[in-house]
Amino acid sequence: MKKITIANRNNTIFKVKGTKPLLSELRSQGLDLPYGCQYGGCITCAAKLINGEVEQKSQVALNNRQINNGYVILCVARAKTDCTFDIGVESHDNLYRNPFIDPLAPHELKADIAILKDSINES
Amino acid sequence: MDGLCCGPGYASPSEAVKAPREKLLYTIAIYTGTGIQKPDYLATIDVDPESQNYSQVIHRLEMPGIGDELHHMGWNACSSCHGDEKMTRKYLLVPGVRSNNIYVIDTATNPQAPSLHKVVDGAKIKSKTNLSGPHTVHCLGSEIIISFLGDAKGEAPGGYLHLNKEFEIVGRWENSMGDIPFSYDFWYQPRHNVMISSEWAAPNTFMPGFDLEEVGHLKYGRRLHIWDFEKKKPIETMYLGEDGLIPLEVKFMHEPNSSHGFCGAALSSNVIHFWKSKDEKWEWEKIIDIDNEPHPDWPIPIPGVMSALLVSMDDKYLYINNWLHGDMRQYNISDPHNPVLTGQIWMGGLLGKAPIVNGVKVAGGPQMYQLSLDGKRMYVTTSLFSTWDNQFYPEIKTEGGVMVMIDCDVENGGMKINKNFILDFGKEPNGPSRCHESRYPGGDCTSDIWL
Repeated sequence: MKKITIANRNNTIFKVKGTKPLLSELRSQGLDLPYGCQYGGCITCAAKLINGEVEQKSQVALNNRQINNGYVILCVARAKTDCTFDIGVESHDNLYRNPFIDPLAPHELKADIAILKDSINES
Repeated sequence: MDGLCCGPGYASPSEAVKAPREKLLYTIAIYTGTGIQKPDYLATIDVDPESQNYSQVIHRLEMPGIGDELHHMGWNACSSCHGDEKMTRKYLLVPGVRSNNIYVIDTATNPQAPSLHKVVDGAKIKSKTNLSGPHTVHCLGSEIIISFLGDAKGEAPGGYLHLNKEFEIVGRWENSMGDIPFSYDFWYQPRHNVMISSEWAAPNTFMPGFDLEEVGHLKYGRRLHIWDFEKKKPIETMYLGEDGLIPLEVKFMHEPNSSHGFCGAALSSNVIHFWKSKDEKWEWEKIIDIDNEPHPDWPIPIPGVMSALLVSMDDKYLYINNWLHGDMRQYNISDPHNPVLTGQIWMGGLLGKAPIVNGVKVAGGPQMYQLSLDGKRMYVTTSLFSTWDNQFYPEIKTEGGVMVMIDCDVENGGMKINKNFILDFGKEPNGPSRCHESRYPGGDCTSDIWL
C-alpha cells in the first residue's frame, strides 16, 4: 500500500494500492475531486505532485513544462511510491500560462511533438 | 405558436423578423474549472423591460452532475419544421463538452423555470458511436445532428451524432468523414444541398488549454469542408492557410436561396466569405482582416481572436467579436464581397479600452452573442472556454462572467451599449460563474434554417 497525503486538505492521508488510477482510488475513499474525460485528455483533474513518484504514461493533456512543474493527471496516474499532492483548482497556479507572453521551448511541448534537448544539440 | 402556420418557427426570415420581442433568455453558466464544486446550469434571464425582474437571473436549472462544461446548445425543432403540426420548439439540447452528456431541457411546460426532460448518456454515446466532445446542435427536419470533435479517446476528427425526435441515439449521421482532419461548427443550406463544416482541434488538444506552438505543428484547423448534404459526405475542401487559422463559427445567410456564408477564423482574426459561383463552383475570399494590436506587456501584438460570428435575420448585418481586443463590430453586408464597418463597441478585453461597463468590471472580452429576431438587441457574454479563460483572463475565476446588452441600429447601422442592462455573474448565489451561449424561446438568429 502507498500513503497519499493531500497537503491542501489538512494533510489528510489515504492508503492506495497503486494498481488503479489515483482518481478512482481516492474518490472511492470519499475525496471530492474535479474530473472530466477519465482518459487523461482534458486536464480537469490535474493535481500538483509535491513528493513521490507516479506513472502517467497514458496522459495526453499535459505539455512537458506542466509535467516539469509537477502536474499529474489523476484519472490515469498510478502511485509508484508514497506521494504528497495539492489537489483541485487551487493547485493550478502554474498550470495555465498566456501562450503569447510565455511561449514553450521545443522540449517543453507535449510529448508527441516535443523535440528533446539532446536532439537539438546534436543537430 | 410562434408563426403563421401550424408548426414551429416562421414561414420565412422576413416573418421571423416580425416576431414578438423576446422576454426570456436562456444562458449557460459554468462552474467547471473555477474551483467551485457545483454543477453547471442553465440560467433563465428576464429581458422584459416592463418586468420588475428585468436584467436578472430568475431561475437556475442545475445539471445532475459536476464538470460538464456546458458550451453551445440548440433547439429540437426550428423553422425547418414549420409545416409539421406535430412538432413544437419545446426542448433545448445542451451538450457537456467534457462529460459528453446531452441534456434535453423542457422549456415549454414552464418557460420561466425549465426542467430536465432527459439525459442522453455520454458513456452510451461513446460506446455506441465512438464520439466525444460535442459542440454544435442543429435540428434537421424533425431529427437532430450534433457535431463532435473527437472519438471516444478525444482524438480528431470526430463526427456527427444522429438523434431521432425522441432523443434516442440513431448512430452516426455521416456516411463518411472523407479526409477531414478536424471538426467544429457546421451549418447547412438545403436548397443548395450543402453543408459547410469548420475545424477547431482534437479535444485532447484544445481541452487542456491553448499551446500556440501546436498551431505550427498542425494540431489546429485551417480548412472549411463542403458536404453533399443528402449523401452525408464531404466532397470538397477549401484550404484557407494562414488566412484561416482556427476557423470556428460558420453561418449561411438566412435567406434559403442564398449560397453566401461566412466563417470567422479565430487566430487569424479574419472573416472568410464563401459562396457558389455562377458556374456552380464554391469560392472563398477574405473580406475582413482585423489587425493585431500592440500591448506593452506582450512580446508580439495581440490577435483579436474572432471566436464567433452572427448574421442578422434580415441578412443585412454581420457581427463579429475580438475576444482578446475587447470589441464587437457590426458590418453592413448588403454586398457580401465588400463589408462596410457600421458599428463598434468596447467591453473588457486586454487592450484596456473599457474595463468597466455600467458599473461592473468586465473579466474576459466579448465572446458569445445572440441577436433578437428584429435585429435590435444583442446580448453578449464574456467567457470562451474554462481552460482558455484561465490562460488569458485568470481574474474571471474570482470575478465571474458578465452579460451586456447592445442596442443595434438596424436602419442606419451602429451599436451602443444599453445603460439599463447589465448582469454580473460574479454575484451568483454559489459564487462567480461564467456565462456563455444564449437562446430565446421563440427562436433566434443562430438556430433557424428554411427548407
